[in-house]
Amino acid sequence: MSYKVTEEGNISIVHLDGEIDMDVTDKAKEIIMPLIEAKKEVHLNLKEVQYMDSSGISVLIESHQKANELGTKVILKDISKSVLKVIMMAKLEQILNLG
Amino acid sequence: MNSQAAISEQRNFVVKSSSLKDVRSFSREVFEKVNIDQDLKDELVLAIAEAAQNIVKHAYQGEDTEDKMEIKISLDKGDLEIGFYDKGRPVDQNNVRHRKIDDVKPGGLGTFFIQQIMDAVVFKEGEKPWINHLVLTKKINY
Repeated sequence: MSYKVTEEGNISIVHLDGEIDMDVTDKAKEIIMPLIEAKKEVHLNLKEVQYMDSSGISVLIESHQKANELGTKVILKDISKSVLKVIMMAKLEQILNLG
Repeated sequence: MNSQAAISEQRNFVVKSSSLKDVRSFSREVFEKVNIDQDLKDELVLAIAEAAQNIVKHAYQGEDTEDKMEIKISLDKGDLEIGFYDKGRPVDQNNVRHRKIDDVKPGGLGTFFIQQIMDAVVFKEGEKPWINHLVLTKKINY
């Protein structure tokens, strides 16, 4: 997994790239959580994520819940077909913010 | 009618999270030989990777090990069987359950995905030298 973070005002845009599994979830959290803790609105661009498993979905849930706690939000953008399928399999399309 | 030649392939992987990408590569290689649609291939790869992840997370509880797990994918006349063999802690099938799907929290989804994708999930006692033997099956139409 690789990533790039850009800033637009109070919005942090995180572009994730590659496959997100148990092996990279700690790295994903290290990227995303500090932005949420800084009360940034975080846009996760998932266009280039070709694979996500239940560990990756857990990162999305944890990020979403942390943002809710802190009064900000995480919005999933440009979700790839394969990731959207897993989100729907987990029945999270009404829970997570899909933008 | 299933005109596909029977397939039976197996490979061993060190039980660690960095092996999961190799597990996926192996699974994709095998399913490339099968005339089924890409969505189903992707689902099967996910189910296999989730089961392998469960071995790393639960049978070995994330500990460092040089132990290997074996994954065997067999397909004959539309009957897909995927076997997982490991030497970790014995798994009690009664303790294997996914979280309630409407109780949204991180974790507990891997087993749910496997059950969604496969027709049957059976834990067996492994024959020596294995401790656990998990069998996933699914009827495949192609």
